[in-house]
Amino acid sequence: MKEEWRLLETENYTAAANMAIDRAVLVANSEGKVPPTVRFFTWKPPAISIGYFQSLKEEVDLDVCRKLGIDYVRRITGGGAVFHDEELTYSIVIPESHSQIPKNIIESYGRICGALMKGLKHLGIESKYAPINDIITGGKKISGNAQTRKAKTLLQHGTILMDLDVDKMFSLLKVPNEKIKDKLIVDVKQRVTSVKQILGEDIRFNEAAEAMKIGFEEEFNVELIDGSLTEEEIELAKKFERECFSTRDWNNRR
Amino acid sequence: MNSKSVYKVPNGKLLKIFLEFNEKNNSIESINITGDFFAYPEEAIETMEDELKNTLLKREILLEKINSIIKENNIEFIGLNAEGLTEGILMCLK
Repeated sequence: MKEEWRLLETENYTAAANMAIDRAVLVANSEGKVPPTVRFFTWKPPAISIGYFQSLKEEVDLDVCRKLGIDYVRRITGGGAVFHDEELTYSIVIPESHSQIPKNIIESYGRICGALMKGLKHLGIESKYAPINDIITGGKKISGNAQTRKAKTLLQHGTILMDLDVDKMFSLLKVPNEKIKDKLIVDVKQRVTSVKQILGEDIRFNEAAEAMKIGFEEEFNVELIDGSLTEEEIELAKKFERECFSTRDWNNRR
Repeated sequence: MNSKSVYKVPNGKLLKIFLEFNEKNNSIESINITGDFFAYPEEAIETMEDELKNTLLKREILLEKINSIIKENNIEFIGLNAEGLTEGILMCLK
């Protein structure tokens, strides 16, 4: 019988709530209270997440965010700023010691990206892993990923770009030099793509999530069983949201 | 004196350093190491920033100090390394 992991689908949470849920699942899994968990989710309102090491005020134009009703949050993972709008976001939480997880961090990125690549294939898109943390198709980025390991537990989250508004994204992100902003926009349009751009049609969240679910099942030879957060995880997530991810202290700490 | 550098680490990520340094004795007063790199454990970056205080802004001394902090704290960088960090810090002086 195949090993069973938990599958969560949570649409329309805020940025702070989404990051709090990932951390709560990490804690619950590290304490052996829940099985390895894969979650697919979206953000409401759309949000920018920044990497743990980034400076919020250096990377994000907070005035424009406020004006456009865009949320923002600092992640517990490293990596760069991401505009979460038209995308499928996933997270996976699993013990570091799990037989399917390489000890080496880069190798484990590759393994988890393998699941996403299989998922993309089910949507009809051939792709490959581009170390450190991207997946590309036709030479363009379609997925970015970030991993942390805490309490002997791995959390990796990332995005599959479903559609992309580069101009809007750049209105929210600060660039080092305004003069080269137009060039940067052109660069990003040339370097980044989306499921919609490749397939020429909108793919619904449920359809994309189903494809990714199959990708994870195939890559790790497991069965993903529909589940929900435990009461304890919900309480813990609320605590993390209240005391960490929604606070100025956390988001402005760098 | 306050200074800032933006440095693309070769084969790595974009490092942005904010440095406050003492011009008289050429040493670090405070430093903020930011960017889209990865470091494990993440919190070790704060240890790195604390321990770099008062370090002389000389390449060999900085590199040695950074390497010893990495070793003592078992830090694993991805998209950044001791040489890149040293270079980013020294670029603040240019």
